[in-house]
Formats: sequence, structure tokens, C-alpha cells
Amino acid sequence: MSETRTALIEIEDLTVKYPGRRVPALEHLQLQLRAGETALLLGPSGSGKSTLALTFNGLIPHSIGKLQSGHVRVTGLDTRQTTVATLAQRVGILFQDPEAQFVMFTVEDEIAFGLENLCFSPDEMERRISESLRLVGLTELRYRRVEQLSGGEKQRVALAALLALEPEILVFDEPTANLDPQGTREVFNLLRRCKETGRYTIVLIEHRLDELMDLVERMVVLGKRGEVIINGEPREVLRTHLSTLQELGVWVPQVARLAHALQHHGCSLEPFPLTLSEAVEALKGRRALSAGQQEPSAPTTSTAVHNDGHQRFSASPPTRSEPDQGEAAIEVCSLSYRAAGRQVLQDISLAIPRGALLALVGANGAGKTTLAQHLIGVLQPPRGRVRLLGRDITTISARELTRHVGYVFQNPEHQFITEAVEDEVAYGLRVMGLPATEVQERTRALLERFNLLSLARASPFTLSHGEKRRLSVATMLAMGQEILILDEPTFGQDEYSATALLELLWQLHDDYARYVPGSHLRPVCGRHESWQAALLRDASSPLRSRGAAGRGASDAAPAGSASAPAWLVRSAHPGGAM
Amino acid sequence: MQVIYQEGESLLHRLNPLSKVVAVVPVLLFVALTTDPWLPLAFTALASAVIVGPARISPGTFWRLQAPLTISLLVFLILYPFMVRAELFDHTPVVLRLGPLALYQGAVLAGMAAVLRVYAMFLLSLIFMLTTEISDFIRAMVQQWRFPYRLGYGILAAFHFMPLLQEEFRLIQAAHRIRGIETHGGVRVHIERLRRYLIPLLTSAIRRAERTALAMESRAFGALKQRSYFRRFRFSRADYLFILCFWLLCLLVIALFLLNGWMGPLSFTKEL
Repeated sequence: MSETRTALIEIEDLTVKYPGRRVPALEHLQLQLRAGETALLLGPSGSGKSTLALTFNGLIPHSIGKLQSGHVRVTGLDTRQTTVATLAQRVGILFQDPEAQFVMFTVEDEIAFGLENLCFSPDEMERRISESLRLVGLTELRYRRVEQLSGGEKQRVALAALLALEPEILVFDEPTANLDPQGTREVFNLLRRCKETGRYTIVLIEHRLDELMDLVERMVVLGKRGEVIINGEPREVLRTHLSTLQELGVWVPQVARLAHALQHHGCSLEPFPLTLSEAVEALKGRRALSAGQQEPSAPTTSTAVHNDGHQRFSASPPTRSEPDQGEAAIEVCSLSYRAAGRQVLQDISLAIPRGALLALVGANGAGKTTLAQHLIGVLQPPRGRVRLLGRDITTISARELTRHVGYVFQNPEHQFITEAVEDEVAYGLRVMGLPATEVQERTRALLERFNLLSLARASPFTLSHGEKRRLSVATMLAMGQEILILDEPTFGQDEYSATALLELLWQLHDDYARYVPGSHLRPVCGRHESWQAALLRDASSPLRSRGAAGRGASDAAPAGSASAPAWLVRSAHPGGAM
Repeated sequence: MQVIYQEGESLLHRLNPLSKVVAVVPVLLFVALTTDPWLPLAFTALASAVIVGPARISPGTFWRLQAPLTISLLVFLILYPFMVRAELFDHTPVVLRLGPLALYQGAVLAGMAAVLRVYAMFLLSLIFMLTTEISDFIRAMVQQWRFPYRLGYGILAAFHFMPLLQEEFRLIQAAHRIRGIETHGGVRVHIERLRRYLIPLLTSAIRRAERTALAMESRAFGALKQRSYFRRFRFSRADYLFILCFWLLCLLVIALFLLNGWMGPLSFTKEL
């Protein structure tokens, strides 16, 4: 009984439909969240996580969508009978895209905006603005223009604007998806602070939460049809349902994977660890138990846990034979580039042999995309700086270049130029002047390989994100280029489609092509036989490049680099190691 | 959005945006009606003085911002006398003769009048544009002139889109080039190419607009008929004083021209 009394969000038999869609976004959903609780909401993309968030603050059904059945009660108020104005003071939602949340031009005005909408008096506004700025630690940026802020600061301002409305419930809808590691850290720290005040009930929708798992008190997993399939205490959920989660393709903490893998090999950790430090503790405990039996052999991966709770890893390089010598596919020779008064690239030198697979890693703004754009003529390098397949790039015409280099942009939609999936693939082949029958054959084969055959007649813009990405890779491969460059190929994809795409890339690489992926989730490390990595430092020369230039590898993780620890653990990803 | 607005703390920056509109617009309309070159020239000087004087825009910045227009107007000024129908001005003395081409005094003066009129109007509007933040202008309109607030704040949100769309356009262009899209060709190829840009551009613009709308509504935008204001826009004494002074100054110039008979007819009195 006490459960229902303190339930802050109560959802009963909720079915939500958007106009023009045949299938409901949420179906017969039941959920209760208690006051002060922190819940993690998981689910594959398209399972209705964001939709659920919008039912909390009444935008569904008041602005969009329709409640076909059931009801939502927030702080005891039925959202159907409560105005958005009232609910906005109960529920604050921090969205994914910091840019898309701003209306005003300065920090102060932006925070005032919500308060003005609710007709607060200027005195009250003043109090709340300074209070919320203090909470997010941005008091000194009060009069700053929002476009001058970093991504992390923007999200903090957006959160301050929500906190000013003094909500009881905070929803974080993938607030770090567009942020670099530094910004992510800022937002996570702030989230931790919100939690510590004890004032808020928090709902998290996130993909990469390794650092925050200790805050989560409940895990709610939505299925493909938008129903709750798992709901429980995280330790229990991860211990018993890991395989279900992985089948769904949702994010799972790396540590949970590790624990399961260890368990598989007869080494179960107690208690089941959710965070790295818990895992370390549990492992230490085990070692104490088995002390004297055997000295453990030196680990190949060293791990350091810092006081601030985040970790740094350094992986030893995979042993591999040197790639066959000979003409490099891509050769960059002390390339520098300045834009808008900023040194973006400084004295970059790289040599990538044919058949190599290179991961280009570095923080946001380190120049990954800029470097890649020099390799395809989007940016023009000076003569003698970039050589492709033995020829200076400045001597290769744009037409010819497209035949040698394929480039997959961050947003696959940018590259679509026709109205049907099959035309999209056939386009490049037609440009090459192949006979119609061959075009048809090769198109079919490619679509089949990329599992897009059933969508051949659909418009590219109607595909799901993962399908769009696959299509953009397929179009780039149609012409059989020798070099393929992918700019953040797993950006914005859920676990399932990201893994599927990478698997496809490994396969293709085994077959013929050569890739330069630059990605946030740099999941290649230690995984593949012939991987090489070049790490770019902020606005500067490569911090290290390994294998690629034939130089000796330096094992030490570069101190002070902004590389997120999360991804390196990813190499332990069992799905990828098949 | 800071295309032309220059951040500053000057007297003019601190004025209510609407008082600048009220001061400048009638003068602008009057200048549009002039037909001789001299009165616009006087207003050109007046506006420049206001911009580098009380608006505290550095002469260098001012020069840089108006240079593109000045250059195109100079080209126009040089070509105009040769393009215009000669019989309109062949009663006026010839200033210069270049082979078969005759340069009539009347044509030169008419060209100067047209050019200076445009230039004076541009500089007068610069007084407003260089010193007024667009969000202040829209908020003042909402508060003082009953401009519908939903529309006003919608426009403000749209301003955040502009740089993003520009960036998007640049990326799409590059992406299409890599696909091997025809880069040369006639008007038809060009139109076809723009059509191809349009779909991804619109898709992302609509998606972004939807997100912004949701974020705004989540913060109770449009939930109530009324809204309060953290910063109140109203006319202060300084605003009235500025309008009065500016008008007096302009009237003084006009009076000076009228008394000395320097002023040509206005465009609606010309035919009489």
C-alpha cells in the first residue's frame, strides 16, 4: 500500500498513437516510479523511450499524439485533465540536441523564457535565475551569448532553464548524445549533483552510462512494441536478464558483460558488479580467497581507477605482422590547416598502407573530420601534402577521385540523391557507364549483402537510422573504391545496428576494401588483426600513430588526452568477437 | 544571430529598439521621395555622423560594412549616364565626349541622385541595424506594439536555425560531389542539383523545428494567454529625447536646403 501512496508517476495500461502511424508507439504500458527514485529507461531505438517521456509532462496528448487507452498520473494529477502549464512545473525534460532547445540569445534570457511563459513576477524570476545558475555552476556566464558556449555548457544552461521551473521530476533524454567526452563529463557531474540534492525523481534515457550506474535504482526496459518487458533493481536485472537485453540490442554496462563472461568461465563475482570499482572490489575479494594458490599472471590490459571515479585504460597493441610494404594508399606529409584563425591541423604526417584499417581517434574538434576531408578533396590540401595511391591529390580530378575514394558522411541523409533505395546504389554504377544488366545485377547483389533488398523501392529518407547508414555504405561500395572513409559510422545508432554495421565492415575489409573510420565509439581497438590507430590531439599533430607509419608503437596511454574510457572496454564486447 | 549587429554599450545601443525605428523610418521615407542628389548627400553625412558619433561604431568597422554597397553603387554611377536614354537629357550641356558617346550633365546628376538616395537610405537604416539586437527588437515589438508573442518568439527560435542550415547546406554539397554528381552544366543541371539539396535540407530543418517546438512547449510556451517579462521594454525619457533630437536635426537640414533653394522637387511634386 505504501508503494502506491508514494508513487510519483503512475502509468496504467497506456497506449499512445501518433497520427498517421498504424502501430502504436507505446502499448499497454504499466509503470510506477516512486518519489526520489532514479530510474534508467532502456530500449532499442524506436521503442518509445522519448514518447514515454513526453507523456510525463503532458505534451502527449495535449500537443501531439493521442492516448488511446489508459492514463498517466504525475504527482497525483491526471495528465489528461491537467494543463501543460501546470505539468511544466512538475516535470522538466532535458533533450538531446542542445542547439534545438534554445529560443533566446543569452543565458539569462534563456532561463527567463520558461518563467515568462508561466507569468512569474520579475522579482521571483530574478531569484530563480540566480538560484538555478548557482546549481549548475554557471553564475559567471549569466550574460554570455549561448552560441559562445561549449556543448557541455549549453546543456548545463538548458538544465538550468528547467531547474528554474522547480520541477520534482527530471527526465534526461540522451543529453550527451551530441557531446564530446568533456561535455559528457560535465553533464554527468551535474546529474550526480541533482541526484545528491535529493529533491528530484530522475528518469534517465541514455546509451552509455557506465560512469553513472551507481546512481541507478531501477531499470525499466521497453520492448520493440513499446511495452515494459523488464522492470526491477539493476543488479538483479543485469544478473538475470543480460542475454535478453543483448538480444534487444540495448546498452548494457561493460562491467556487467565482464561479470557474465567471467561467470561463464566459472568465476562469479559477488556481489554482481555494476561499476568498475565494484568489479575491482569483487575481484580483489576473490583474489584474497584464492591467495597463496597461484600468482596471477600479469594482465595484458592495465587499468587505473582514479579518485574521481573515471577510469583510464591502456591496451597493449595487438601483435600482428607488418602490412606488406609497397606504395601507401594514403600518404599525408606534414599537412597543416587553419580555419577561422584556429590551427585545426598542425604538421600531420601519416602513411596508410594498402589493405590497412585505420581508426582515427581524438576528442571533438581535434580535427578528425578535417583531416578526412583533405583526403577527398572537400578541403584542398596544398600541392605535395597528400598522396593517394601514389599520386598527388591535387593532380586528380574530382570525377576520378570519387572512383578511388568513398566517403560516408556523419549524416547519411546528406548523401542521398535519388528517390529509391535501388537507384541510390545504381547511381554510381550508371555514372561509371556500365551496361544496364550489369548495373541491375550488381545493385541486387549489394542490396542483398546489406540486407536492404526488401526495401529496394522505398525512399531512402523513410528508412530507419541503421538502414540509412547501411545504404550509405552500400552506395559508397558500389563503385568498388579502393579507399573507404567513414566519418563516425556508429554515431546515433543503438547497440544492435552499430554492431551489425561494424561486423559488416570487418567482413568487407577481409574481402577487399580499406577504411578510415573516425568514430566516437571507436570499437576497433584490439579487435581486429590489422587495425592501426592514430590519435589526434586538440588542434595539433598526431599524438601517436601506430603501425600505420611503421614507427614503433608506444604503449602508454597518452596522458591528458580526452579519449573516453568507455570505448576501450568495448573491445571486450562479446557480440563483436564472434 | 549577429550578421550586422555590433555589440556595444553606446547611447544608441542602450535606447529602446522601437525608438530608433520611430526616429529613422519617417526620415527614410522622406529621403525616398527626393529627386536631387544634394539632400541625400546631406543625410548621408548626417547618418554617418550618428553612426561613428553617438553609436560609437569605429570608422574602420563602419567602412568595412558599407564598402560592398558603395562599390556596387559606384559601378552603377559610372554606367548610368551611358545606359540612360540620351533624349531625356540632351537639352543639358555635355560634360565629356568620348567618340560617339556624350556624357550629359543631366544624366550624371540623375545618376548621382539615384545612387545617393539609395546610399542615404541604407546608412539611415544602419543606425538601427548596427545598434539593435534582433531579439531585443522582437521582444520590444511583442511588449509594446502587441506583436503576437507566439509568432515573435517563433521567429527568434528560427534565427538559431540559420547558421545550422548554412552548415548543413555546405555538407550536403560536399556529400553530393563525392557521389559523383555532375558539377558542370547549364541552368537545368543547376536547378536539378538544387532540387536534390532541398530534400535532405528540408528533412533536417523540419526535424529540428519539431524538436525545438517540443522543447519550447515543454517549458510551457504558449500554455497561457499572457506572459510576464523579465526585462521590460518601454520608452524612457532618453528615447523621447533621442527621437526629438533626431527629427529636429533632420528638419534643420531640410529647412536649410529649402531656404537656400538647394532642394529639388520631391518625386510626387515633380510632374506638376
